[in-house]
Amino acid sequence: MLNAAVTQSTHLQEKEMAGHVINATKEVFSTMVMMDLEDQYPLADPVSKFHCSVTSMVGLAGTYTGILSIHCPQSFALRITSNMLGMDVTEVGEDVNDALGEIANMLGGYVKQILSKGGLDINLSIPTVISGEEYTVNSTSDSDCIIIPFTNEADRFLVGLKLQKEC
Amino acid sequence: MSNVLIVDDSSTMRKIISRSLRQAGLTIDEIFEAGDGIEGLNVLGNSKVNLILSDINMPNMDGLEFIKMVRANGNSVPIVMITTEGGEDILKEAMTSGASASIKKPFTPDQLQEKLGGLL
Repeated sequence: MLNAAVTQSTHLQEKEMAGHVINATKEVFSTMVMMDLEDQYPLADPVSKFHCSVTSMVGLAGTYTGILSIHCPQSFALRITSNMLGMDVTEVGEDVNDALGEIANMLGGYVKQILSKGGLDINLSIPTVISGEEYTVNSTSDSDCIIIPFTNEADRFLVGLKLQKEC
Repeated sequence: MSNVLIVDDSSTMRKIISRSLRQAGLTIDEIFEAGDGIEGLNVLGNSKVNLILSDINMPNMDGLEFIKMVRANGNSVPIVMITTEGGEDILKEAMTSGASASIKKPFTPDQLQEKLGGLL
């Protein structure tokens, strides 16, 4: 659920903010990954444990703080990277990290534009990418997070946006 | 024929931009790559470059500082910013510093062709 202070400040309800993230994600995947996505918002059950997955995150800091994250199975991360690079990528490594990091960066850029028209009062961090057989992603306050599931063919992945308004 | 320099800390983005330039049908002889502004300045010191495509957010030397350094060195090569930083203030600063145009990620080869066609 979107933080109440963010809703009040942006004049965007959670569904509207989710709509922006959905449109941005579909545009990025359509343009840069050559994949058409379907969204399954809202998420039925919270997810914090990931198996054989890749998580890419970019932080926002300034008048709003937060994290934009992408969680996807390794097999789908390989498919995304292969499509982006136009070559067959078979191992999770530098190319996958770079590709997933760049997608998070582009989505973070969209969110930044939604929150700050001038662009100077919010900074994006360098992307961080985690991958592994089994890991858990926890936040001290899960209540301030929107999570949107997307599908392409048989693959499914999540885009999360956690936001808080700073004074 | 023209040489292009791509300055971006993401090797994936450099590959994507490079591929998109080819797909856009632009007449390009050689494509040089640099991971940040410092590497970009080194390439400019050693090679003839007709167009620079640069990210803004990069470690070591970011895109804005890179533009200023290029212009301070007396180089008038066209510089196009390719960035997620679509904010008007940042792009205004880039243009004031000497950038010729900007392209927002994500982009299509057609958009590249439209923006860059007149610069090469």
